[in-house]
Amino acid sequence: MSSPFDINGGACVAMVGKDCVAIACDLRLGMQALTVSNNFPKLFNFGPSTFLGLTGLATDVSTVSDLFRYKVNMYRLREERNIAPQTLANLVSSSLYEKRFGPFFVSPVVAGVNYTTGKPFICGFDSIGCIDFAKDFIVSGTASEQLFGTCEGLWEPDMSPDDLFETISQALLSAVDRDALSGWGAQVYIIEKDKVTKRLLKGRQD
Amino acid sequence: MTQHRAALRLRLASSSSRHSSSTRPVTLFLPSSSSSSSPSSPLHLSAKRIIDYVLLGITGKDFVLMAASKAAMRGPTILKAEDDKTRQLNKHNLMIYSGEAGDTVQFAEYINANISLYSMRNDSELRPEAVANFVRSELARSLRSRNAYSVNLLLGGVDPISEKPHLYWMDYLASLAPVPYAAHGYAQYYCLSTLDKHHHPDITLEQGLKLLTMCTDELKRRLPIDYKGVLVKVVTKDGVKVLDFDNDRIVKSA
Amino acid sequence: MADRYSFSLTTFSPSGKLVQIEYALNAVNSGVTALGIKATNGIVLATEKKSSSPLIDPPSLSKISLITPDIGMVYAGMGPDYRVLVDKARKVSHTGYKRIYNEYPPTRILVQDVARVVQEATQSGGVRPYGVSLLIAGWDEGVEPDSGDVQQIDEDGEPKKATGKTGGIMKGGPSLYQVDPSGSYYPWKATAIGKHATSAKTFLEKRYTEGLELEDAIHIALLTLKETIEGEMNGDTIEIGIVGPPADHLLGYEGVECSQGPRFRKLTKEEIEDYLTNL
Repeated sequence: MSSPFDINGGACVAMVGKDCVAIACDLRLGMQALTVSNNFPKLFNFGPSTFLGLTGLATDVSTVSDLFRYKVNMYRLREERNIAPQTLANLVSSSLYEKRFGPFFVSPVVAGVNYTTGKPFICGFDSIGCIDFAKDFIVSGTASEQLFGTCEGLWEPDMSPDDLFETISQALLSAVDRDALSGWGAQVYIIEKDKVTKRLLKGRQD
Repeated sequence: MTQHRAALRLRLASSSSRHSSSTRPVTLFLPSSSSSSSPSSPLHLSAKRIIDYVLLGITGKDFVLMAASKAAMRGPTILKAEDDKTRQLNKHNLMIYSGEAGDTVQFAEYINANISLYSMRNDSELRPEAVANFVRSELARSLRSRNAYSVNLLLGGVDPISEKPHLYWMDYLASLAPVPYAAHGYAQYYCLSTLDKHHHPDITLEQGLKLLTMCTDELKRRLPIDYKGVLVKVVTKDGVKVLDFDNDRIVKSA
Repeated sequence: MADRYSFSLTTFSPSGKLVQIEYALNAVNSGVTALGIKATNGIVLATEKKSSSPLIDPPSLSKISLITPDIGMVYAGMGPDYRVLVDKARKVSHTGYKRIYNEYPPTRILVQDVARVVQEATQSGGVRPYGVSLLIAGWDEGVEPDSGDVQQIDEDGEPKKATGKTGGIMKGGPSLYQVDPSGSYYPWKATAIGKHATSAKTFLEKRYTEGLELEDAIHIALLTLKETIEGEMNGDTIEIGIVGPPADHLLGYEGVECSQGPRFRKLTKEEIEDYLTNL
């Protein structure tokens, strides 16, 4: 019996650039070694420039993304404003810790540009909500070891949106190609202060 | 078998029989324990006695073809050779299921009753996407209860407005994925590669049936157990229809 | 079966009135006057500290309360009910907000949370409405990015620091709310509650001008209080709370970047007496 984090497979990565951030995920959904779908996105939008990436057990990816869709919609109705990436990060943290003794088997990543300050923000979490703030990049999923390597090698400070796209895409594709449980195409979002660009990467389909 | 189940109480969403009972947390893996030392199932991740029946689903231009094996088994014994593992949820939605003996029909009836209730209350039908997400939320809720349903499902439907076919794959963990074609159980290993090679999104029903035959032929050739043929249904904009399917074709072994 | 008799005490009269709420308002209207004035760069809350006996020790009496570092409130009506609401407001600002988002609630959100507590007392079984009206004053940092320094030159040719923040979650700045026993709440530029609320409000209408600064607002608050006060006015009989610039000296430490002192604070006896001598 393998760990619940490794049953379905999947990878996610976020990176900081100059006045921009990027977040990317693969598209695979599997059952152990068998691939079931190559159309299972793991990135979710929670505001004009705020994204949440979820890897881990597929059922919890859906459950947790549904839960935060509800929570963030309620926040938006109540406060008549969009949730800031930092605020979303704290909401994710407190919501996951609420389930400390029966956790969701997910490793979330938050990426966004703060509307007020214009500053990029990324962070990652463990499954019970401990926040990992980072100035450079955050990785999660079954290819996280590989991603650490590719990101460590490719990332550099103050990249332009175009360079950031190139870097995060290469980092993700190279990493998932060395992981049997993730890959099968990828999604990349480049988030700038007033622009979000979504790109689909075909990737290896084997 | 089904008649006995009918005698059991229908559990509608408002009934408090199962879900409102004790909310004691289930034993789960703690994030640190990655090894498999604990013998008790974490979050019911190992299905208890899921029996592998053949479930197949294929979408085409304007239809979803669904096939479920007709054998009802208990261990190595075939109890019934004309079992119906399909449920029509509303005019344009069909669910096929397999899994642990009691759970399958119980869960199917629970879903069936609630989707029907929705149709009656609102005088309108849930679209395939809505049906899939409703079923997912119910199964996901059960997953974190004390006794979860062990049921694998395929949900096929046609959107009555866009007339586009939809097929959803869902396992007993409530992982949901929209797919062009899908299988459950051992059929996955035998059929998915065939479907990968020959499926196109705009095939006609005739081509779909040919594809299905290729799949069942392969099952006959490779699967060591007799699954007693498949019950084949098709969902189109006109509703759900049973199709005649030649289960007696002789397939030469490889 | 006990719950059979715990129906709401607040029930409709045939004419559609909820007389229990009107009685609660009567309690407010016989309470000591409290007032609030919103300025461009802050808010002042002021009230009289009335003691029924000369033997009472004045410093132990406190009517203005801190809720979060940037929000405070004052009341008119029943003191014990107010203390309960202060407790609940402080609690809900943490359970319903800080513990979830790791930041303090914006003023409007806190006001809504308090108003909900007050409203629930008008519809729940076995309870009576709260016999207080509240004035809640707070500062919000605002979501919209700073569009450079808005420099205004006033008549004397002196550059006046205007933030362009006029209150609210989006723009940020000061906001002043009143919450009534019914659970309804109103945003004000300036208002008064309690026994002499009507005359105080008339006075405020005359004295209030747009673009008021905090120092002027404190001055007007004292003048208004003077009109209505029954006893002597000094640092012991007056209580003032202000929303102003971050009071970093109240942090208890210094040299830490990104940490800001509370914007809401109560004026000391000495500060009040300084203002009174300049009146």
